[in-house]
Amino acid sequence: MDLAMPKLELRNIEKSFPGVKALGNVNFSVKKGTVHVLCGENGAGKSTLMKIINGIYQPDKGQILIDGEEVKINNPIEARKNGISMIFQELNYIPEITIEQSMFLGNEPTNKFGKIDWKKIRSETLRLLQQENLNYNPTTQLKDLTISDIQMLEILKAVSYGSDIIIMDEPTSAITRNEVEILFGKIAELKAKGVSIIYISHKMEEIFRIADEITVLRDGVMIDTKPTHELTIDKVIALMVGREMSNIYPKEEVAIGETILEIKNLTNRPTFSDVNFHIRKGEIVGFAGLMGAGRSEVARAIFGLDEFSSGQIFIKGKEVKINKVTDSINHGMVMLSEDRKRYGIIGVRGVRENVALSKLEKFIYKGRLHTKDENAIVAEICKRMNVKTPSLETSIDSLSGGNQQKVMLARWMLCDPEILILDEPTRGIDVGAKYEIYKLITELAEEERSIIMISSELPELIGMCDRIYVMAGGKITGELETHEFTQENIMKLATKG
Amino acid sequence: MKSIKKLMAVMMSAMLALSLSVGCAPTNQTSAGGEAPKAAAEDSKPAEEGQKTYRIAYIARAQSDSFAAWLANAVKDEVAAKYKDVTVDIFDGESKNEVIASHIENAVTNKYDCILLQPYDSEAQVAPAMEAMDAGVQVVTVNNRINDNDRAGAIDADPVEQAAKNAELALSQIPQNGKVVVLMGPAGNMHSDKRRIGWQQGFFDKRPDVKILDEQIANWNKDEAMRFMEDWIQTYGEIDAIISMNDNMAVGALEAAKAAGMTNILSYGVDGTAEACLAIEAGEMTSTTLQSAYALAEEAVKLAYEMMTGKGERRTVLVDCPLITKENAKEYIELHKKAGNLK
Amino acid sequence: MNSKELNKWWSKASSKYSIYIVLVAMFVVCSVISPVFLSTKNITNISRQISITTIIAFGETLLIICGLIDLSAGSVLALSGVLSVAAYKMTGSMQIAVLVGITVGVFCNAINGMLVTKFKTPPFIATLAMQTAARGAALLYTNGQNIYQIGEYKALGQNSIGIIPIPVIFMIGTTMITWYILNHTKFGRHLYAVGGSEEAARASGVNNNRTKMTAYLINGLFVGIAGVLFMSRVNAGLPNGGIGAEFEAMTSAIIGGTSFSGGIGTAMGTLAGAFIMGFVNNIMNLVGVQSYMQQIVKGIIIALAVVYDIRSKNKRDKKKQGNINDKLTDADGKNKALAAR
Repeated sequence: MDLAMPKLELRNIEKSFPGVKALGNVNFSVKKGTVHVLCGENGAGKSTLMKIINGIYQPDKGQILIDGEEVKINNPIEARKNGISMIFQELNYIPEITIEQSMFLGNEPTNKFGKIDWKKIRSETLRLLQQENLNYNPTTQLKDLTISDIQMLEILKAVSYGSDIIIMDEPTSAITRNEVEILFGKIAELKAKGVSIIYISHKMEEIFRIADEITVLRDGVMIDTKPTHELTIDKVIALMVGREMSNIYPKEEVAIGETILEIKNLTNRPTFSDVNFHIRKGEIVGFAGLMGAGRSEVARAIFGLDEFSSGQIFIKGKEVKINKVTDSINHGMVMLSEDRKRYGIIGVRGVRENVALSKLEKFIYKGRLHTKDENAIVAEICKRMNVKTPSLETSIDSLSGGNQQKVMLARWMLCDPEILILDEPTRGIDVGAKYEIYKLITELAEEERSIIMISSELPELIGMCDRIYVMAGGKITGELETHEFTQENIMKLATKG
Repeated sequence: MKSIKKLMAVMMSAMLALSLSVGCAPTNQTSAGGEAPKAAAEDSKPAEEGQKTYRIAYIARAQSDSFAAWLANAVKDEVAAKYKDVTVDIFDGESKNEVIASHIENAVTNKYDCILLQPYDSEAQVAPAMEAMDAGVQVVTVNNRINDNDRAGAIDADPVEQAAKNAELALSQIPQNGKVVVLMGPAGNMHSDKRRIGWQQGFFDKRPDVKILDEQIANWNKDEAMRFMEDWIQTYGEIDAIISMNDNMAVGALEAAKAAGMTNILSYGVDGTAEACLAIEAGEMTSTTLQSAYALAEEAVKLAYEMMTGKGERRTVLVDCPLITKENAKEYIELHKKAGNLK
Repeated sequence: MNSKELNKWWSKASSKYSIYIVLVAMFVVCSVISPVFLSTKNITNISRQISITTIIAFGETLLIICGLIDLSAGSVLALSGVLSVAAYKMTGSMQIAVLVGITVGVFCNAINGMLVTKFKTPPFIATLAMQTAARGAALLYTNGQNIYQIGEYKALGQNSIGIIPIPVIFMIGTTMITWYILNHTKFGRHLYAVGGSEEAARASGVNNNRTKMTAYLINGLFVGIAGVLFMSRVNAGLPNGGIGAEFEAMTSAIIGGTSFSGGIGTAMGTLAGAFIMGFVNNIMNLVGVQSYMQQIVKGIIIALAVVYDIRSKNKRDKKKQGNINDKLTDADGKNKALAAR
């Protein structure tokens, strides 16, 4: 075989989802026996690309070549036949089954009567374990193993299928430092055997330890591919975030008042610990960080949705106890959840009921809920939020994402909050609606309300915030003032640790 | 597992709480006993020294059926009153053939001397009963029989006769070209079907002039019978007689008739329940035949005792089913008072 | 209005008011089939016959809207009924008797509610346990025998005020209570919210457990009232009364548009559903349909109601498909859904 020929090559791959171009003209190749790291911001198109390689999605255009021959991959089973295996970030496994059962799950050897050949399974499992120098008992149940063990078994499975291209999606996000070392040892072994590895990660140190080549994706476009020795951490970050800032953020200067909310040493191990921050009147404070950094978890704890083990919450200088959501609402603090479908809308009910839900008291007097008043006030607030709906009785799940989000904002505005926690307020909504939401946020700040904005879109935070906290690994790793706002600074803090 | 245990503990305590609140109420506790329907297997009282104690397993059709419950209580009282060397344990068949079969099997394993069985189905209980007899356990059936070619002892009242006695009375009471409605027990129920045969032979075959307006299944239930009767009154207006396969339904239909102002309607039932006796005495209901749990219990325990001790052979006894009318209703009301069914 | 608009209006109206259209259609058809159907007496009869089931159906409606269920209604009806009868026989006071009936109903449902909220038992299992236990308690108390000679206790179930039977007055009362709860109280809104999406309700400041508990307690009130009316109507204390009553009640609720997937249902819909079932039962008796045939007809009606419920749910889901784009743009940032496959 020609050594110069890449093991896997993608040519001119394009992929669109209704309304969104996820990947455009991506060229990407992996050499035999190397580790190729793929990096990019959340939403840059990494996962889509990997899913195309693994057969979960089909590209709209372009070719996939393995060993120089074009292949069609219609599903993960075909991918496996072509020697491709993927180890997912969130491992899915059945806790009750044993190692040997899991090794051959869905692929059990049978005798001619269709009976499962357990003897063969046992001997094959033992052979594989021995071959890879792993010291497990084949009858151990998966629930008794650590995440790292299960990851190892996934790799073992991939090897047992004869895979020579293994995709690893953020494999170190849930394992300890020691376990990372074991994983890297394994990767070196695989490399030596000629296996190609596509490795997705945010963690710069890691990337520079193991990568032979690095490819950066941004907004669905391949920015650059270079051998590792030609790059530095700063260069990679610059490539990742290097998009032009446009003035789509209708930010206005607002006089900032005294501190209204202060959080001291908020801890709930292992998700977050020693979180300290404050926010002032009329201020928009951003929370940046990568997925799993603990931002949403902190917000949920403050809002009373989740419990926390220790720490204090002060509102207007007085310590408050928040055990449930109503406590929070009564203190003038509300939260727009990142997962609107799950923690926001009551899908089958109408717009009116959805808006009024958290502040029904407003319409109750003389022992009765007055729907007429409710209708009038909800209509007014929906108008202000620019909600587009055929009627106030239309069930909310028939509205578009942007309108649903505006209805959720309307729900909280009805409570007349002083503090708004907005968790990914523009996720999953189109550009036009995004702008409307930015405008609303600005207006809210002008009304001396304080806003905590959690977002994974850095330009949005930079464009909207007065101050940004960055979190990584459940801790606040830094606080940035306006003049320090650069994507490079944020990414540096977000990839710390 | 833990949560299941927790749940069970809670349910047990809830039931305990309920039964305590029930137990405290100072009513209805009669000699018929306040025992839980499902008897613990070993609540036997110690027998006198040196004497053999005979053990009877009484398997009731269903303890939730009011006649079956009365019969079970009667058997228990009978044993307690007359047989010092006999103990009886009560098992609930829950109206399920498979449950009854397993009770029979368990009784054999537990070495009972006799199984007193109130069959639910004449065929389904044959095989387990045969096995029990093969294993040397005496079997006596009561209040229904099984098709075992007269191998087990049998105490029964004849359901055809129960109905026929009423039918005979009706022959002279129901007017020429009379209009009647018929209320049946659950579909396929042996007693309901046999009683219907009794009415057919004893009345309908002899009186072709009488018109059956409608015939419906009210499942032995008072409320269902009421509903049917209300609708019938609307549709047919005039109805001369209610012919019901048991007293509950007859009284229910009568309730609806009374509400509609039909005071001289004839109504016939079977069972001789306390409520029916009262209605007959009050001149509202026409007649019923008594299926006496006491008579059945007395004969059944007697036969079981003879067979266990070897003093007697198996036999079939049909207990009398007296007709109850206005003339003799008082007598049976007294009987019910004695039984604690009336206060 | 041109014909297109008219069509649109009709399709909207017919889906929103379909149950009432069916009700009116049935009413007309029944009147044609049987001359006695329309008589005042017959209509009063139907109302009285459905009243007890309907009262229970309102309890089930509240529960099903909230994503709960009560399988114990029939058994609790019997228990509260016989204990109420016993209380009457002891004291001779109807007030005390009614109070006892209601208390027992509420007590049993407090246990249901506690099992569901505190111990997180699935409502199906919790109330199934109560079904068995309450029936057992009713049989135990009465020793399996009916209680007779209950005197003036029967007045409540059998008498009328004017031409309106007392149980029907109770039915109207509970209809109004249910309607008021669902339309004009915070608790009613919370029922819909919890049934629609438990997590979203919690994140909106709804106390889910309190909502569920209250739903069970009100159900208990209704079942207790139904128990007293039932025993009073049959003029006896029947420990075996009301077997399967919960299913008849649920049937009324489901026919009336209450959705088993939660978050949807109205008081008037349930009342209409109960009347539809009442008409069906009544007309079949009026024209003398044979017993077994009646069961088949009722089965078909229930199946149709459920099919309708599922079809309208699918319609809603299809509407949701319109928003699938959002989900897909999300997909990259948070690929849980697909990775889970």
